[in-house]
Parts: sequence; structure tokens; C-alpha cells
Amino acid sequence: MGRQVCIASAGFSEHASKRSDVSMPELVSEAIKDCLKNAPSIEINDIDMFVNGNMPAFEGANIPELWMTDWMGARNKPLMRVTTGGTTGGSVAIAGYYSVASGLPGVDTVLAIAFEQQSQGDTATGLASVAYGEISVLNSLGIPYDQLTLLFSAGAAIGVASYQATNYMRKSKTTEEDLARVVVQNRHNAAKTWWAHLKMPNLTIEEVLDTPYISYPLRYGMVCPASDGACAMLFTTEEKAKDMCDIPVYVNGVGSIATETGILGYCGSGSGQLDPSEQLGAQKTSDVAFQQAGISFPRKEIDYAEVYSPFPNQELMWVEKLGLFEENTASEMYETGVTALNGELPINCSGGVNSTNAIGASAMERPAVAALQIMGKASNQVPETVHTSLGHGWGGYINLITMMVMADEPARKFK
Amino acid sequence: MSKLTRRKSMEYIKKEYVRTRTMPASWYLSSYKFKYNITHMEPMREKLKQKKLVGLQCSSCNRVFFPPRIVCGKCMVKPDRWVDLRETGRVATFTIAYIKDPETGEVQERPIVCAQLDGSDTSYPTQLNPDIEFKDTYVGMPIKVHWAENSEGGLMDIQYYDVTEDKAQDLELRKD
Amino acid sequence: MEKVAIVGYNQVKLYSDANYGRYEMIFEAVRGALDNAGLKKKDITTVVSATNDYYDGRTISNSLTVEPGGGYLADESKVEMDGAHAVLYGLMRVLSGNHKLAVVWGGSMASSYPAHTVHLYETDPTWERPITYVSDITSAGFQMRAYMEKYGISAEEIAKTAVKNRKNAVNNPLALAEAQNPNITLKDVLESDIYSDPVTELMVAQPCDGVAALLLAPEKQAKKITDNPVWITGVGLSQETYYLGDRDLSTSKSMELAGKMAFQAAGINDPNTQIDVAELYEAFAHEELIFIESLGIAEKGKGADLNAEIGGDFPVNPSGGALGGNPLCATGLIRIIEAVKQIRGEAKGYQVKNVNKAIASGQIGMCSQNNILYVLEGDN
Repeated sequence: MGRQVCIASAGFSEHASKRSDVSMPELVSEAIKDCLKNAPSIEINDIDMFVNGNMPAFEGANIPELWMTDWMGARNKPLMRVTTGGTTGGSVAIAGYYSVASGLPGVDTVLAIAFEQQSQGDTATGLASVAYGEISVLNSLGIPYDQLTLLFSAGAAIGVASYQATNYMRKSKTTEEDLARVVVQNRHNAAKTWWAHLKMPNLTIEEVLDTPYISYPLRYGMVCPASDGACAMLFTTEEKAKDMCDIPVYVNGVGSIATETGILGYCGSGSGQLDPSEQLGAQKTSDVAFQQAGISFPRKEIDYAEVYSPFPNQELMWVEKLGLFEENTASEMYETGVTALNGELPINCSGGVNSTNAIGASAMERPAVAALQIMGKASNQVPETVHTSLGHGWGGYINLITMMVMADEPARKFK
Repeated sequence: MSKLTRRKSMEYIKKEYVRTRTMPASWYLSSYKFKYNITHMEPMREKLKQKKLVGLQCSSCNRVFFPPRIVCGKCMVKPDRWVDLRETGRVATFTIAYIKDPETGEVQERPIVCAQLDGSDTSYPTQLNPDIEFKDTYVGMPIKVHWAENSEGGLMDIQYYDVTEDKAQDLELRKD
Repeated sequence: MEKVAIVGYNQVKLYSDANYGRYEMIFEAVRGALDNAGLKKKDITTVVSATNDYYDGRTISNSLTVEPGGGYLADESKVEMDGAHAVLYGLMRVLSGNHKLAVVWGGSMASSYPAHTVHLYETDPTWERPITYVSDITSAGFQMRAYMEKYGISAEEIAKTAVKNRKNAVNNPLALAEAQNPNITLKDVLESDIYSDPVTELMVAQPCDGVAALLLAPEKQAKKITDNPVWITGVGLSQETYYLGDRDLSTSKSMELAGKMAFQAAGINDPNTQIDVAELYEAFAHEELIFIESLGIAEKGKGADLNAEIGGDFPVNPSGGALGGNPLCATGLIRIIEAVKQIRGEAKGYQVKNVNKAIASGQIGMCSQNNILYVLEGDN
């Protein structure tokens, strides 16, 4: 059952804090045009199915793919919508993979699109409303409003990252200077990527540490921006991909294992994740994906990785939890240059989520950049040839993860 | 957060975009009525009135939940056994929130901890005693419940947590 | 296409204002589906849910339902369309060979928000939303008028469908109590409150609270789990363009293309004789007539002449259809479950005789912009 799936192309739109020159459908068509430009042998009419996703709370438009049917080129074609919050992009990419792997009659080429235009709405309200229902449960149990707003202000995306930072920094003895070093590397890489948002080629560690705290131990200089942008990827079968591009990228392993929620819990019942930096879901997902891809020693066999880290402490945490480095050694790897552009295992050479965060699209940009690095067409291309790479996404209420492992050769045989 | 405070000291390469026609608007659809069931919390609230703590245990995986939970996710059953819990516990994780007062503009520091009671397998967010020095908080710090004077049968009966003495041998190694 | 079967299902009773919260409702539906097939939690490898952030009042509506939905340490994802589209994603996951049992659940609670106003957020914010002339009810009025004018059909003939479905719902114990009207007449339907001329209140499928779940498995596992698997032999979907002026409202092009894709995969050339029963998701009474014409079961303009009662030539919606209760995001899934019941012979009180092949549909969007159709078949 099933068949090989290849990625033939990937495209992006320009990211900025306010794309005031385009509406949502036009932003999506910009990314689609860039994707098809990299695969010049096919046109928009050759696409058999579309998969679309974003986080709908930010723009005030529910199921917007109905409105942008014509701008995507999806008139009278099959279309499916997949949204899972912060990991939306990764889930859309995985849905694109499953659409081709299933072998439904007539569905051979699938275009996956993820986008977000955060300047159209209010980001803070959109993020905070993840837990509105649960906060009202606690209110009815007697907790007054001013304490709830206190818990709230440390909730949402920044709050959960600071809980993870506290536990991680204690276990591994990292300092704030290590966090600032990660930020500086990401922003320098973003300056060489044409579609990234925060391009800062002259940033230094002192400038990052000079800004005030938002929530201990994270400072203003370390957080990700809120961007507008879109990303598109083209999935197809093995035979058709060989006509579309020189180096088709095989998708060898996918996974998205979910665990129970963190910190507040569902219906106000607290969380079983006592240590938020332990991330059982990430460990299981990487086990599943690496097993499908036939990888037993990730440190040696993976040549490039893009991990999802809007905050620098998460980048250090993920590279350990996904099996790339040993426990508590990640900050040393950044200091000695193992993760730089010409190091042994380059990480986030496109600037990562720390420099560009369009929430709906960012989890898809990670596998898209990892695929382009294998094809040799990435904007900040690694000098050594990349054979195997991975793209990772994280989100939800600390409990959702997506991962995609790809290579230039297939790992499984299908009849 | 304001972009001015964030990027005052850092320059970044910015591209200007042509501004097209805008349509500012807002729509009010009436409020949303969240519906949830808290009958499973009644025994806990009764015991809180008597200043006692109970947790709910799942019979198939033996995990204890405080506050109680409707469904145990690992086993897909409803937990049904009530067990007593002690008043001591530990800090599972913590953070310090910086809240800016909108009128005066001064920034306040308030700590928030996730506390795990001895005997339960879950932690939940709550506060420490406002009089103590919170900069010494560390993960694994032992704490004890401080009851409020009037018990109304709600979670606020646990007014805050006091810090107790830590008798561990390797304390110096564990502190930040 | 390899064979995949539906091996278990469950649906909660529909209420207009249920007195339980959504976590308990989801747990009841998924646990009931697992018990129906005789399986345990650790057999689940993947879960696909169908909910909508705006209907639930919170963003990332799937992150907090991981535990009641059976998704703890399982591969989990969410489709933000009708429940029938979530079944498509579950089907793709099983066909790829990576998973052996997929759980698909979906539903929402319409008593928590004003059910028709939230559809305003689905319109184009630049041109249509500020004027509020176009919403899901007014566009249904446009479509019904276009259909009536083109073929010279009167409102009474369309009201007959509403009467038939509401009377069928009386025999369905899980349908909405307000939609079970045993003594309804044509006059009641035509004289009820006008929503948007000529659509009246009793022609509209009423949103309510409800959750449903079903299980999918590949051929080898399905034969071991149950003696009575129902095979999915064909699936098709299609989406039309958005702006109403670009479409021909008297017919449904998306249902026509979805039908073509599904019938070709299932090997069906004459649906009128080869299919035994149809369960279609009709948000308004006239949509049922437009769908059976676009699928080729009746000729254009002659949909109202077809005898669609339970004992008639071609039974449509013996369970009452969406007019018997419309829990948004679950209705398409319930239509598939009702078709499975007809094939297995488990529909007590409204069973059609000798059913071997059935079709079930789901939709989303104004004037059913995106339609999906399944062809289901039982073992003989």
C-alpha cells in the first residue's frame, strides 16, 4: 500500500511586519508563483489537488480558502483545509505528502500552501484565546480576575517558553550569553536569505543583552517578530518529479505525535507534563520519523536540520530532544561553530523562526528550506552537498509536534 | 509589545511597501457561552471547605490528578477513586512575569510557580507568599499550603504557598 | 485503489442545548465507537478531528481535545471543514500504509454562539461583508429562486422534500427533537417564518449540538475486527469559485465533478439503477433536489418528480438528512454513518430493503461551494 512521494519545488513570498501592498489572496498567489518558477515544466492547470492552511483567528476570516479559490488556481479542483495552530505549516506539508502517498485515482500532483497575514488583526488576542474556555472554568472555581490576568500574562506563547527556559537552563547550566549567541547566529543567517524578515547583519551579543526582560529569562531582543508571509510546496510522484527538477527530494519519514497539554491543562485540571522541557512528544515523533526513514544514528546521518524555535532556549532544547546532539551539550556546539554554515551539522541557515514568524506558514518553511538545501537551490546554501535533512515544527499548548525527514534517495520499497 | 522598545538599539534592513486601500472594520457577534461540566470537581470543593485536599485517581494507570480531570488520556476511561493528599509539595517550574501598569507605567515583577502536591502526578499554576524574596526560587523547592481564613469551597482557599526548609544533602549543587 | 473499510461508528443524540460540556461529548462518541468495534485505546495509531476555531470560540481547537479524543501519544491532526472531509484525510492515512487503524471524529456545539451570524466571518471582508447583503441565508434565497425560475418549479414541490425529511426523522431516535414533526403539512412549511424569500424557517437545517466518530481500517485488519465491514470504493471532491455572480446557481457544478470522480473510481455508470440509497447533506430543502439532478440520478428540472420516500424508487435521506439536525462539522460524518447503518441492516425503524451500495455526501461553503461524495459498498 502506498507509493513514493517526492518534493519537486518550494516557494516563498517576501516577509515583512506589514505587507500593506497585498491582500491575503494576493500574498498566497505570490508564493505560488515563486514555487512554480522553480519547476518551469508545469503550469497551474496541471495541479490535481490543493491543500491549504493558516491560523484563522488572526485575520478575522474563517475558512478563507473559500474566498481565495481563484487566486490559488483551484477552481473546480479538489481542495482540503488542514489547520492545527502553531504547527499548521507542518501539518499542511504532511497532508500534502499523504495526499500523494495514498494513490487516489487522478491525484498525482499536489500543491500545499500555508500563509498568515498577522498585520490584519490583533495577534495578542488571537494567541491568548487558546485558553479562554479553561480560564472561565478556573473563574467559576473561585479564582478572581486579577489573579487570572496574572496567570494569563505569563501564558500564551512567551509564557510557556519561559517555563521551558527555567527548567532547561537549570539542567544544562546555560547562561544568557549562550542564548544571545544563538540569536546573533540566526539574525546573521537571515540577512543572507531574500525572503526573511529581521535581517540584522551587524548584530552583537551585547546589543541583545542590553534590552529589558519580558518574562524571566527572556529579553525583548531575543524574541521572534510577527510577520506576514506565505509558503508553497509541490508534492508529486517519483516518475513525474524526475521531469520537473534535477534532484527530486524523497520524503522518507513523517510524524506528528501529540501529548497532553502543559501548564494549565484542559478544563482547568493542571498538567501531567511536570517538566515542560522534557517533551515526550518530540522524542516519540523523532523515533517514528527516523524509523520510517531508516536512520539509526541521527548525528552522523543527518547533514542539515531546520528546527522550530521562536525563542533561543528552544533551539538548544530541540537539537537535543530530536536526537542530534547529546544532552546538555548544545550550547557548546554553538560556541565551537559546529552548527554554523560550514560546520559539521548546520542548523537554521535561513534564520529560523527567530527571524521570521508568520505563524501559519513558519512550520512549513522549515521542511521547505531543508528540501531546497538538498536540491542546491536555497538562498543561503550550505557549501557541502546535503544528502539528508529534516524539518520540524512545534505548537499547540506545548503538545503538538510535526517532523519531516527527507533525502535524495528513497528509503522504503513499494510494490 | 511595542516595536519601539524592542528595536531601539538594533538596526535592521527594512523594505518599504506601497500602501494600498484599507478597510478598517470590526464586527461584534455577541458573546460566547462556554459550556463545561464541573460536577466531577464537587467532592474536591467539599473537602476544601474542611481544609482537606483530595485528588482523583485513575484505576487503570494509577495516576493521581489534582485538580481532578474528566478523562484519563492514557487509558480512555473516567477516573473514579478519590485519595487523600498531603499539604506539602514541590515547585515543578516557575517564571517571573513583568507586568506594566497602564496608568503609572512602572514595571512590576510577579512570580508564578507551577506546584505539584506530594502524592499527585500533575502540577498547576499558582502563587507564592507575596512577602518572601522570590529571587531564590529554584526548581524542586519544597513548599506548603497556606490556607485562607474563610473557606468557600473554591481553589482560592489555598491562598498561597509558603516556602519550607529544604533538608536535602546536595542543596548547593541544585541551586541556580 | 486498495480496499479500506469502516469498522465501527458512534453518534451522540442531537440536542439543541445539551447539558454536558464538549469534552464529555467527545469522549462519549469516541469511546462508543471503540466499543462498537471491540477495540482498545492502544490499538489507535492516528486520530483526525474536524472542528472549527470560530464555532468553538477558541484558537487551536484541537490542542485541548487530544486526551478525550483518544489522541494521547498518537499521530494527530485536524481538518477544518466538514466531518466528511476529515474521513478523506483518515482514508489517505490508511491508504499510505503507515497506519492500521484511524479514528475520525468531529462536531461542535451550536448552543454556545449565534449559529447563523458566525457565517458572516466566511464572507469576503472587502466587498461583501460591510454591506451584509450576502450571507449563508440570503445566498440560499438566491439559489432557490434561480432554480425555481429556470425550470418552472413551485415552492410547494420544494416544500415536499422538507415534509418528507422531517417525517423520516421521527423514526430516527438520535435526531433532533425539534425536527421530529410527525404531523407536519405543506401548509406549515410554506407559512412558517420567512428567513429570506422564498426560504422559510422549516426548510432550513437547524444547527445544534452533536459529535460523531468512526473507525477506518485496511482490508486485512478489517476482516479480523468485524464480520460486517463496509468498503469505501470511491471518493470525489471539488470546489467551485467563490463569487456568486460567477456561478450558475440553478445547478451544482462541484457536486457534478465530485460525482464524476467518485463514480469513475467505483466503476458506476448509471447511478439511478446501481445505487440503492443516498444520504446527502442538504443545508436547505432545495439543495437535495439540485444534488440529485447534478449527480445524474434525475433529469435536469425533474428532481421533484422522483419518488424519494423509503419505499420509493430511489430513497434519499431515510434518516431525515440534515433537516433532522445539523451539528456543524459533524453532519457529513453522520450521513456516512447512516449510509453504513443502511448497508449493515442496523437502521431500526427506517431501514430500506436490500441495500448493497450507497452514497453519502458532505459540504461546506455558501451554496455548497465545496462538495465531497463517497460510494460505499457492503459484502454480499
